[in-house]
Amino acid sequence: MDSSNAAGTSNGGSGDGDPAAAARRNTKMPKYSKFTQQELPACKPILTPKWVVSVFFLVGVIFVPVGVVSLLAARDVVEIIDRYDDACVPVNMTDNKLGYIQNETISKECTRTLTVTKDMKQPIFVYYQLDNFYQNHRRYVKSRNDAQLRDYKKANQTTSCEPERTTADGKPIVPCGLIAWSLFNDTYIFNRGNENLTVDKKDISWKSDREHKFAKNVYPSNFQNGGLIGGAKLDSSIPLSDQEDLIVWMRTAALPTFRKLYGRIYVDLKENDTITVKLDNNYNTYSFGGKKKLVLSTATWLGGKNDFLGFAYLIVGGLCIFLAFAFTLLYVIKPRKLGDHNYLSWNRHPAGR
Amino acid sequence: MSSRIKEMMRVATARLGGEQSPRGGTSQAGRAEASRTARLGGGGGSLRRQPQPQAPTVRTIYCNDREANAPVGYKGNSVSTTKYSVLTFLPKGLFEQFRRVANLYFLMISILSTTPISPVHPVTNVVPLSLVLLVSLIKEAFEDWKRFQNDMSINNAHVDVLQGQKWESAPWKRLQVGDIVRIKQDTYFPSDLLFLSSTNPDGVCYIETANLDGETNLKIRKALEKTWDCVIPEKASEFKGEIQCEQPNNSLYTFTGNLIVDKQTIPISPNQILLRGCSLRNTEYIVAAVIFTGHETKVMMNSMNVPSKRSTLEKKLDKLILALFATLFTMCVIGAIGSGFMWEVHNRALSRWSEMEVLCSAYRFCGVFINEKYFYLGLRGRVEDQFNPKNRFVVTILTMFTLITLYSTIIPISLYVSIEMIKFIQCAKFINNDLNMYHAESNTPALARTSNLNEELGQVEYIFSDKTGTLTRNLMEFFKCSIGGEIYGTGITEIEKGGAERAGVKIDDDEGKRSATAVHEKGFNFDDARIMRGAWRNEPNPDACVQFCRCLAICHTVLPEGEETPEKITYQAASPDEAALVAAAKNFGFFFYRRTPTTVLVRESHVERMGSIQDVAYEILNVLEFNSTRKRQSVVCRFPNGKLVLYCKGADNVIFERLADGNHDIKKTSREHLEQFGSAGLRTLCLAYRDLSREQYESWNEKFVQAKSSLRDRDKKLDEVAELIEKDLILIGCTAIEDKLQEGVPACIETLSAAGIKIWVLTGDKMETAINIAYACSLVNNDTKQFIITSETDAIRDAEDRGDPVEIARVIKDSVKQSLRSYLEEAHRSLRSTPGRKLAFIIDGRCLMYALDPALRVNLLGLSLICQSVVCCRVSPLQKAQVASLVRKGARKITLSIGDGANDVSMIQAAHVGIGISGQEGMQAVMASDFAIAQFRYLTDLLLVHGRWSYLRLCKVITYFFYKNLTFTLTQFWFTFQTGFSGQRFYDDWFQSLYNVIFTALPVIMVGLFDKDVSASLSKKYPQLYQEGIRNTFFRWKVIAVWGFFAFYQSIVFYYFTAAASQHGHGSSGKILGQWDVSTMAFTCVVVTVNLRLLMSCNSITRWHYFSVAGSIAAWFLFIFIYSAIMTSFDRQENVYFVIYVLMSTFFFYLTLMLAPVIALFGDFLYLSLQRWLFPYDYQVIQEMHKDDPHEYSMIHLPERSHLSPEEARSYAISMLPRENSKHTGFAFDSPGYESFFASQQGVGVPHKPWDVARRASMKQQRQQQHTGRS
Repeated sequence: MDSSNAAGTSNGGSGDGDPAAAARRNTKMPKYSKFTQQELPACKPILTPKWVVSVFFLVGVIFVPVGVVSLLAARDVVEIIDRYDDACVPVNMTDNKLGYIQNETISKECTRTLTVTKDMKQPIFVYYQLDNFYQNHRRYVKSRNDAQLRDYKKANQTTSCEPERTTADGKPIVPCGLIAWSLFNDTYIFNRGNENLTVDKKDISWKSDREHKFAKNVYPSNFQNGGLIGGAKLDSSIPLSDQEDLIVWMRTAALPTFRKLYGRIYVDLKENDTITVKLDNNYNTYSFGGKKKLVLSTATWLGGKNDFLGFAYLIVGGLCIFLAFAFTLLYVIKPRKLGDHNYLSWNRHPAGR
Repeated sequence: MSSRIKEMMRVATARLGGEQSPRGGTSQAGRAEASRTARLGGGGGSLRRQPQPQAPTVRTIYCNDREANAPVGYKGNSVSTTKYSVLTFLPKGLFEQFRRVANLYFLMISILSTTPISPVHPVTNVVPLSLVLLVSLIKEAFEDWKRFQNDMSINNAHVDVLQGQKWESAPWKRLQVGDIVRIKQDTYFPSDLLFLSSTNPDGVCYIETANLDGETNLKIRKALEKTWDCVIPEKASEFKGEIQCEQPNNSLYTFTGNLIVDKQTIPISPNQILLRGCSLRNTEYIVAAVIFTGHETKVMMNSMNVPSKRSTLEKKLDKLILALFATLFTMCVIGAIGSGFMWEVHNRALSRWSEMEVLCSAYRFCGVFINEKYFYLGLRGRVEDQFNPKNRFVVTILTMFTLITLYSTIIPISLYVSIEMIKFIQCAKFINNDLNMYHAESNTPALARTSNLNEELGQVEYIFSDKTGTLTRNLMEFFKCSIGGEIYGTGITEIEKGGAERAGVKIDDDEGKRSATAVHEKGFNFDDARIMRGAWRNEPNPDACVQFCRCLAICHTVLPEGEETPEKITYQAASPDEAALVAAAKNFGFFFYRRTPTTVLVRESHVERMGSIQDVAYEILNVLEFNSTRKRQSVVCRFPNGKLVLYCKGADNVIFERLADGNHDIKKTSREHLEQFGSAGLRTLCLAYRDLSREQYESWNEKFVQAKSSLRDRDKKLDEVAELIEKDLILIGCTAIEDKLQEGVPACIETLSAAGIKIWVLTGDKMETAINIAYACSLVNNDTKQFIITSETDAIRDAEDRGDPVEIARVIKDSVKQSLRSYLEEAHRSLRSTPGRKLAFIIDGRCLMYALDPALRVNLLGLSLICQSVVCCRVSPLQKAQVASLVRKGARKITLSIGDGANDVSMIQAAHVGIGISGQEGMQAVMASDFAIAQFRYLTDLLLVHGRWSYLRLCKVITYFFYKNLTFTLTQFWFTFQTGFSGQRFYDDWFQSLYNVIFTALPVIMVGLFDKDVSASLSKKYPQLYQEGIRNTFFRWKVIAVWGFFAFYQSIVFYYFTAAASQHGHGSSGKILGQWDVSTMAFTCVVVTVNLRLLMSCNSITRWHYFSVAGSIAAWFLFIFIYSAIMTSFDRQENVYFVIYVLMSTFFFYLTLMLAPVIALFGDFLYLSLQRWLFPYDYQVIQEMHKDDPHEYSMIHLPERSHLSPEEARSYAISMLPRENSKHTGFAFDSPGYESFFASQQGVGVPHKPWDVARRASMKQQRQQQHTGRS
């Protein structure tokens, strides 16, 4: 306890045995490790001019070719877009489009003629495009029940399907919810001259959806039976997994402007071919001022007509190469010796703190 | 054992200090009140008490009678300092957690997210919140467990308790009020005790109160005579007293009570009370009765929780969080308005179609709406409030809440827990384990007692340092002397060493290299064979040497103790200087070994004949004592042969004034030597003597006796009489005592000053001593302009002589006011004329009291902030705290206090960061501190290395957190605009909930632990780097704005680049990607980018960085691969089922994944490159300067081999020393009685008075005789 006494005796006598060993046992000296002494080996990157210029240059060198390739791919795609929502309204009803679409007695048939601008190799993808349609609205997105779709035993599960859960007499709707209820129901029939171009509607949905999210033994029931009809009706003899239009529709889009795959045409189209589209203009976009478009498009390995990626790559790549030169210039114009004492703040303002 | 006891003392955590800390006005006032009463009472050693307000009831204790005490139900002696018990842990711990705004916020969000208005599943917020709470609770539990173990070890310490007629050992916790206990030497008192008897005669015992007040000098307690015989158990068992006393209270220095024995009532004073926390010294054992136990002891009543300090950075962080709340609110308001009201504007615009067309299309683009026309939303009929188009206002309000839940990620929930974890590891692993801060001699590593303040260490601008024990070792060592114009002693002081190092000379001071003749013992550290052990007789001036040694051996007020041999004897002196001087005389061959009331016995080895030893008795006729006005001390003694000599020692100026004429040479050389000693930081005294004739003496002695017996103005008259004889002195020489600085102090102070830190010395010492140390620490040097405000002026002294306290106060106040004003002007003037000049401000405690007056405070602060160094001397503990908080609050600078004693506690608690010096007795300062280090010099490492790194790291961590959460949340925000403001979530619930706690959690912690801008040695080599912290360069709004800007930019990149993808078919199958595909792609980009961004901002990248960054990204992919491959049986939407596989089947995904991060980081990279090149930070320049240095390992030190022999090297080094003479001659001498300055203020202890020396000598003799007689 009394340290001075203890020190005194241990200095005097040698009876302590090995004091060094004892000291080592009692020591509170921290053990050395690279971790605790914060001496872990580390790489210390410094953004020297060499690094800056090389990084910019490298990015440029990689990005420009990628951009060129993607752009070329996108350029090969031929796309025909036809907006038909306005054009298909009879002339006498243009002031009352809503009346037109809601009046079931008026025939919704309509014929459009498209001219192929460039040779199109099969397969040709048929899309419909909707504008100002909020498939991503919160009320809309959650209005479905996945359990019901993949298990016939769970047909009664209609939670979260408000307001299209049950029929007026309380029977569950399959498929329930707003998404299914508002299924798109325009149809297209394509003719080149007299030749009918068959639209293949198989395999337009993702396989995972078809096989796992929509069951083979679930059939539509009570669907579109209410007073208000939202959209297409489903054949209740076909299982959901085969209702590909529904499956496509139910993979909700991210933006209010979106395309959905309608089908494929396995026929090559020639430049200046004229294509007649006989369509049933059933779907109501008039009430909310949405547009409907029909799109015919080819695709490459990258997909449809999308210049965006190619340009982005090209611009960024170009910018990087430009910056590589710009920085080289900067380092020449405004040179600074690396690690120059004079740049230390206390050397710059010696008087100041 | 001793370490465990120290641990025990932890219970007394706040003790005195808690009471002193100027937290509330009331406690301050209370404290002042207490000390005033104490001082009044303690003046003459007798204790008069102010009447204490009596508690309504009186405690009655029946000693030695457990049954009688039982009905009262006193509390046991076990103490508990834990915060929680097993039962209360969960509720209380959770309550503590939810006191944090962030946690409470997330609790609210979690509750909100269970309601239908929430767009997200509760899991999104519950998972991160519970993880965060879990980690925090585990930490709390761990800390409380450690506290509990500590309590257990204290409660289970053993003490002897009287059982029947025997002493039986029992643990402390079993102790009960009324028990009789036996305390052995050097053990601690287990509770508050009534002292009954002691093995010492006179019923006296000595106690050490270091744990209470930091005083290391022993205090005397005396038992009541009635109980003296209770020493043996038989007697003690017969003792049946009844104690009536006050109820437990927290006043340490008062006690009211009576002991009723045999129907006799004896009053008990604090003199019989032994407080828990003190320890018994120099007494074999004592017997005492327990009066207060456990939490009712005075020390525990004093203990309150040390106020937890929060770092300035964290306070600023609060502001950042507030700003984030504001951002969140703005975002929600925008969204809410969009959801409810945009439509109306849109409609109205439609009605005035023509002029509003442009505006309309803009609104159309924004989307909007709750309106029945969107038939697919099913808004007809009964619709829940959230979407009911008939009540837009409700829709708006509810959407607001929806969006708050959706954007909740903008507040980084894991930020606090990450910071806590980082800081905890920084403390536990880095600071506590730093070998550079381990002190081998005292076997003490550094200790971080709180982990709240690591980064505060990187921003300190003002250091308040105690002197004794902190800067100095409180060891006075005789170091050099000058006799008859010749310097003896070849040592080198720390100051000289510091100077030499600055000049580039390296001096090794290993003990092994010292010359063989060097002697080092307590009070004596001298290396010069020429005068050791009588060798001086061969010197050219032996007579002077004889006089010199005799003067040292006779002229003092020291008492020898112990065996009368040179090896064993110890000297008891009122001041350590005196002991050092006597020890020097001993080593020179004049061994002072005994004092009787009238004589001093000296064993002289020498004089007329070589080698003979002779005991000489000098009769001491008069002692003319030392005081601060006289600055000298004299004795008149009669030699055995009847010769009368006056020996005098004192400050150079007072001695030189009184020298006889002639002998100018020796005066001149002595003065030069004095200056040389002064510049080396040594404390000097001049020695002189005068032969007296019998007539001279007798006529003078008459006057002296008269003066001594006068009743009025005795001190003044004595001084006047002394003047009459202290003249015509003959100078013998001078002594130089080293007030030994702690190792490396000057160098450390030098480094800290270069780092832009200002160091203030606050000391209870006298002004001379304080200035001397300021010189020694190179806080003050010859070029420094000094502004001194002292109460030792003639005007004030005159006022004091008149004795009217109101008048004195007025005079002092006026003089302080005037000097402050004039000094301030002068300082400004000097600053303008010579900007580089150092200024120093020195003030004593008495003047400081007035200067701290609110009216003068501004001037005081103004002046002190201009000056580079400030010295406050003779300040009380309270004033130390006041000064610290003056700077802390007044100047809003970050302050640090460092000290070792109880008198520093208040200052330690008042400053932002408190540092205690550990490894010595007295743990009070350490207990109150935030960090404990063994040596002052470790401040360099603590501040410049650990503090700076912690600051840098935390800044980086916080700004990065801010960035990553903002980026993430903003992508959500952009999405909101395209969902008709419905509040649809962009990401899957689990993405959002795991974003903070898994996918981006670990790397940032690695940065918080390992990032280093420059190595530790460079941090110390370029102390200026520290200024980046003082200026708070890395956590300004500007820095945050830059991060914010890039977060904004990146979020746009992520959202729009991936959203663009949904427009067209992808891959050769022509199939379309849905919303969840897009969001998964965006999330992948976000995770990859924020992790890479972190890597980009690292200064050093260890393998842990690689692991954690790669691990985090891999964790995301692993998660999504598994998550999207399974379907769960829960009722939930399978939105992301198979998404990643769908994505990975397209080239588009890979191209985007490569493009988005590169474009996102492009901006940051450009910014970093430009910033580094055009406006480099200091650390970046230093990095560049040392970029090719090999990796350093501090442990690898190659011993430098010198071709010189040690002696040669040493003498060479000495010759290389800068020999600059100082104008400062270094006089400093601790005035006797000063040691108990605070003790006397507090009213306990028996102050040693020098004039007591004779009486003490006689008393001791009696005691020794008694001893020998008994044995």
